[in-house]
Amino acid sequence: MASGRISPVTGHYVTIDVEDAEYKVFYLENGQGQPLVCQHTAGCHNHQWRGLLEDEQITGRYRVIAYDLARHGKSDPPLNQEWWKHEYRLTADHFTAFVVAFCDALELENPIFMGSSFGGNVALQLALRHPDRFKAVIPVEGADYSPGFYLDWWQHPHANAAQVCASGVWDLMAPQSPDHDRWATWFYYTQGSEAFKGDLYFYSVDHDLRHCLSEIDGERCPVIMLTGEYDYLTTPEDGRRTANAIPGAEFIEMKKIGHFPMSENYPRFAQYLNLALHHIHERTDT
Amino acid sequence: MTSPTTSDAVGEFRRLSNGDPELQAHGKYYSCSFLLDMEHHRFLVRMHKGTVEELVTDPEPLSSYDFAIRADAETWHGFCQEVPPPMCHGIWAATFRRGMRLEGDLLVLMQNLRCVTRQLELLRITGPLGGAGRDTARRDARR
Repeated sequence: MASGRISPVTGHYVTIDVEDAEYKVFYLENGQGQPLVCQHTAGCHNHQWRGLLEDEQITGRYRVIAYDLARHGKSDPPLNQEWWKHEYRLTADHFTAFVVAFCDALELENPIFMGSSFGGNVALQLALRHPDRFKAVIPVEGADYSPGFYLDWWQHPHANAAQVCASGVWDLMAPQSPDHDRWATWFYYTQGSEAFKGDLYFYSVDHDLRHCLSEIDGERCPVIMLTGEYDYLTTPEDGRRTANAIPGAEFIEMKKIGHFPMSENYPRFAQYLNLALHHIHERTDT
Repeated sequence: MTSPTTSDAVGEFRRLSNGDPELQAHGKYYSCSFLLDMEHHRFLVRMHKGTVEELVTDPEPLSSYDFAIRADAETWHGFCQEVPPPMCHGIWAATFRRGMRLEGDLLVLMQNLRCVTRQLELLRITGPLGGAGRDTARRDARR
């Protein structure tokens, strides 16, 4: 019997096919019950969900699954392609196909999907494209449109890309968030610069639902949006405007927190997440 | 937080910068010059290997520098609070939402982004370097 403080969180790989790509996807999971599938932010990985994965208040009722999107963390680029010969640019088509293929591979029934930043935006895409595959979606720091972050600076050869990416997203976090958690998030961002810009092609270019929001059925697939007041990319005004245009959607503003809420200040985020989960429970289980 | 005169705040900013553990740990190659344009006053900062080499209040018109960070006094006032309000809490946030302008050779800014970001957060301790319309000492540096 090991004497160390071993976490109940476990890691696994699953191989999936997405469009014409084959991926070996790494995911962390803990808990039992309603599946809650979690997408990290652009250029990052699933450790952003470390607080949620060990939150017994949640894992007692939810099976929390946090995967690394392909090209992030421990999920490699496609196994069957010479990916190094192409510029990486994530599209809404591929991103949504990835999430559905992952959920199918794990045979998840009626999962709740939650993602932050570009994960929040893809949550809206999933609600539009696959309302019957998901019980509900929780777009965190998402909006109908989020231009302005597809920048060459993330990969400029004359600058330290790791530091540009990490310090470039530094003030997406709230000054009130604990130093250790903000620096952990900063540290994660030093690790993903090669994927960051390609992720942001989806975030700032390909994702544009400004003329499709009314087509999302927030009654069929509840949409509970959460946005932090320190998020300068998708502000609370953006989140509120987006939710107001989706029939049946709800919007909750999170105070004293920013664009990486689950990673920069999990205890504060958990208060709002519990509220969102409670709303979903009331709307779908009663 | 105290409310120092402009020259006191400038001196404090210089002292805090040169004694900051983060800048000492990571500023070995932090050498560049930049202008902080706070509407009523401008401050030219010349960094050399992580240390403030020169800090000039309201520099001469043709003074040169690598890049400039310009915003209105209200934005800087928020930026320099101990807990800045949303959208005033960093140069990226203020540039996206408060009309802050990043000008000049932005590659130099990006090459030194970690240290610049840290150094500007010291303004949360000093408070605004220049009060609106306040009569201040010029060329505070070199003392």
